[in-house]
Amino acid sequence: MEIILQLVAFLLLVLGTLLSIIGVIGFIRLPDVYTRLHATGKVSVFGLVFLLLAADILTPLATWKALLLIFFVLAASPAVSHAISSAAYRVGIPLVGKRDDLKGKMERGKEKE
Amino acid sequence: MSQMLQVSVPLFIVYLALTGNVEPSNLVIGALIAVGVSLLRPKMDLPLINPKRLPQFLWAGIRYIFIVAGDVIRGGISTARIVLDPKLPINPGIIAIPSGTRSELGTALSAHSISLSPGEMVVAIDDDGVMYTHCLNVDGSERMIANAQSLRKNLLSRMFE
Repeated sequence: MEIILQLVAFLLLVLGTLLSIIGVIGFIRLPDVYTRLHATGKVSVFGLVFLLLAADILTPLATWKALLLIFFVLAASPAVSHAISSAAYRVGIPLVGKRDDLKGKMERGKEKE
Repeated sequence: MSQMLQVSVPLFIVYLALTGNVEPSNLVIGALIAVGVSLLRPKMDLPLINPKRLPQFLWAGIRYIFIVAGDVIRGGISTARIVLDPKLPINPGIIAIPSGTRSELGTALSAHSISLSPGEMVVAIDDDGVMYTHCLNVDGSERMIANAQSLRKNLLSRMFE
């Protein structure tokens, strides 16, 4: 039983690290602020959840703390990406792509290069 | 008073869960912190839950949490796949999605779960509850979101009507 748990925790650690790395790759490859937020705000958070689950299994004291932290991370991360993207739009950072339903509906600074 | 209890009791429980210590001194400290923080909280209207509807509220809430959890997993995997694809198949843009509810809390929760689901992120919300959502793939997302939103609207309206 102990060994199985250790193996699961190991697997979660590897998965979490991989997803965090993919998040960073996405941050480098994607073209603008808004698409980059998709990579950091989703893939990296997902990786963080796996790492916390692994910590939950490996350290006996952290059961409730890790689960609570997962809840808080999942509650906070969309709010953070929303705040950053909203601020970026308001400041006038241009977005890649043709369709923009929000155009003209929100006060916006001068478009920057 | 009941508003204060609504904030301070969950805070107290979270404090106890985080410290994992039920000695009397810790209980007193936790209670003081919970009451202190709930006094610092800005004035806002929390929806009071009718006790008679509590089972229905909990059931809808649990189903909602499971739907959101599924969205998180699919969101992580599909975004990771897009990032790793050598051709980078994205077609980004901002589309408008009506949330279908006028309650502020319902709109906020919809926006929250949209931001967690694959390839979508809410950039702005206007006064009518229309959510302007940034998508990695505009074509596929529009119909998918509309379907998911009607399901969510159903659950959320059961929780907060």
